[in-house]
Amino acid sequence: MTLLELDSVSVHYGRIRAVHNLSLTVEEGEVVALIGANGAGKTTTMRAISGIRPVSSGRILFDGQDITRMKGEKRVELGIAQSPEGRRIFPGMTVLENLDMGAYARKDKAGIAEDMERVFELFPRLAERKDQYGGTMSGGEQQMLAIGRALMARPKLLLLDEPSMGLAPQYIQQIFRIITEINQQGTTVLLVEQNAQQALARAHRAYVLETGSIVKSGTGKELLADPAVKEAYLGVG
Amino acid sequence: MISSAQYLAQDSEPWINTDTFINLFWANTIGGLEYGSIYALVALGYTLVYGVLKLLNFAHSEVFIYGAYATWFTFFLLGFRPGPTPELPVGELIAYLVLAVIVAMLVSGTTALVLERVAYRPLRNRGAPRLAFLITAIGASLILQQILFLWRGSNPEQAIRLLRPETLFNVGSASVQNLTVIIVVASVLMWIVADTFVNRTRFGRGIRAVAQDPDTAMLMGVNKERIIMLTFVVGGLLAGAAAVFYMMKIPQGAQYNGGFLLGLKAFAAAVLGGIGNLRGALLGGLLLGIIENHGQALFGGEWRDVVAFVVLVLVLMFRPTGILGESLGKARV
Ligand SMILES: Nc1ncnc2c1ncn2[C@@H]1O[C@H](COP(=O)(O)OP(=O)(O)OP(=O)(O)O)[C@@H](O)[C@H]1O
Ligand SMILES: [Mg+2]
Repeated sequence: MTLLELDSVSVHYGRIRAVHNLSLTVEEGEVVALIGANGAGKTTTMRAISGIRPVSSGRILFDGQDITRMKGEKRVELGIAQSPEGRRIFPGMTVLENLDMGAYARKDKAGIAEDMERVFELFPRLAERKDQYGGTMSGGEQQMLAIGRALMARPKLLLLDEPSMGLAPQYIQQIFRIITEINQQGTTVLLVEQNAQQALARAHRAYVLETGSIVKSGTGKELLADPAVKEAYLGVG
Repeated sequence: MISSAQYLAQDSEPWINTDTFINLFWANTIGGLEYGSIYALVALGYTLVYGVLKLLNFAHSEVFIYGAYATWFTFFLLGFRPGPTPELPVGELIAYLVLAVIVAMLVSGTTALVLERVAYRPLRNRGAPRLAFLITAIGASLILQQILFLWRGSNPEQAIRLLRPETLFNVGSASVQNLTVIIVVASVLMWIVADTFVNRTRFGRGIRAVAQDPDTAMLMGVNKERIIMLTFVVGGLLAGAAAVFYMMKIPQGAQYNGGFLLGLKAFAAAVLGGIGNLRGALLGGLLLGIIENHGQALFGGEWRDVVAFVVLVLVLMFRPTGILGESLGKARV
């Protein structure tokens, strides 16, 4: 079943067109990767899906429902959560409060407590730092917190914008392992990554974005083997 | 033969009145706390709105003065008239005062809500620049004043007093009156409620999230428009309560432009403590109240307001973000 569908979506910043006629789908249960060079429009696409940036044309469907004009906060209630680029942790809130913010739209206390436990299992580091302010956490810790916070919404679709950015190699491995784990526990994932090698290896399918448009798509394996992708994004060839 | 220094000392008043300062130290400190706690409650409104919208809501002084009129009319409609203070049983007195607080909070809260809806929200929907908000705020402040002016004229409403002054105890050389205790204790209680609301409730977390990062707050499912409304209402409610205390202290305080100077002081208090910071509003308010009283004792009554603002400027020179810093946005409030 198709969980998310973008149908010829265009997004502008003033007169600058950042995303042009972009179409993609994410099926329930998948990990889908979106790769592309700096400025290709990956973050803009994520912002449009979450409703932070309005689309200028095209449609966004989620779970069969047209959400193109729906307010961002309502989309969270439908089951779309995002760990945004640059982490965007609330600096003046503690780890615990940041995680609580992730569950802001939820009312089921028992479920929230369960998910908090789950996040602490995934990221034991966060459990050790419950009362530390988000703004004083290290970059890697903030990244864990951002992912954990998004999970606290218990989303159907988890949007991850560069979850490995700024992380040491051993953390990158760990983050990707956790993404797979989250997916196996039943969450659909749309992943934006600079680290194309890892992303393609983990993703069921992937799209390649160039200056605001999709130029290529296929399974992760296909794209890993594609000579053009290899040359442009995998630093070989 | 006398020297010129002696001559000066003999003929002119001393420039700095250290005697008055020392003699009235306790009286001025206590009186300063009393004024200061009113500043603090009004300052909370400036600070909350600034924290969430980065907007200096100049019209907050009118939100406050509408509460002062609401207080006066509550007393009037209860049958009280200008003139001698009536003899009231304590229970009845408390009931009337509580009623006045409720009415004033409702009136100020509603004024703040309408202000947000009519003046600021349309600008936000159009993505207006920061300067447009500031000009609108000043315009709204004047319009709210003129509405009062057209309706009630330029004279203040005549003083209606409900509370008979009584000395409760002494501190140093100063006597502490019932009114002072009521104002300080009630204001601090109100501040505690506001602080708890912002730091411990779900809505309060929403306020802090929008203050720290509005886009990310939306990603968490926070309805920013609702949070902004709520912030204005909370600021208005606090200003309404402050207005009742103010009218008990200064019963002739209901005048169409009577919010201006007090609003300015409360704003200064918010900046002094660190704008965007709830604890800063309390600290800044109390400090400002005390400082201006002592300033008046030292330099004379005409310097009262000057001293308050000179201190503000001096503090900002050394700590541009105020004493406690801007913290609704950064650290914990
Ligand atoms: N707020 C903005 N105002 C104007 N232009 C913007 C804004 N945000 C992004 N853009 C432009 O839109 C285009 C796409 O940006 P976007 O952030 O989506 O790229 P990206 O693929 O996420 O890049 P990166 O890999 O560097 O994160 C870029 O050309 C960028 O300059
Ligand atoms: Mg990006």
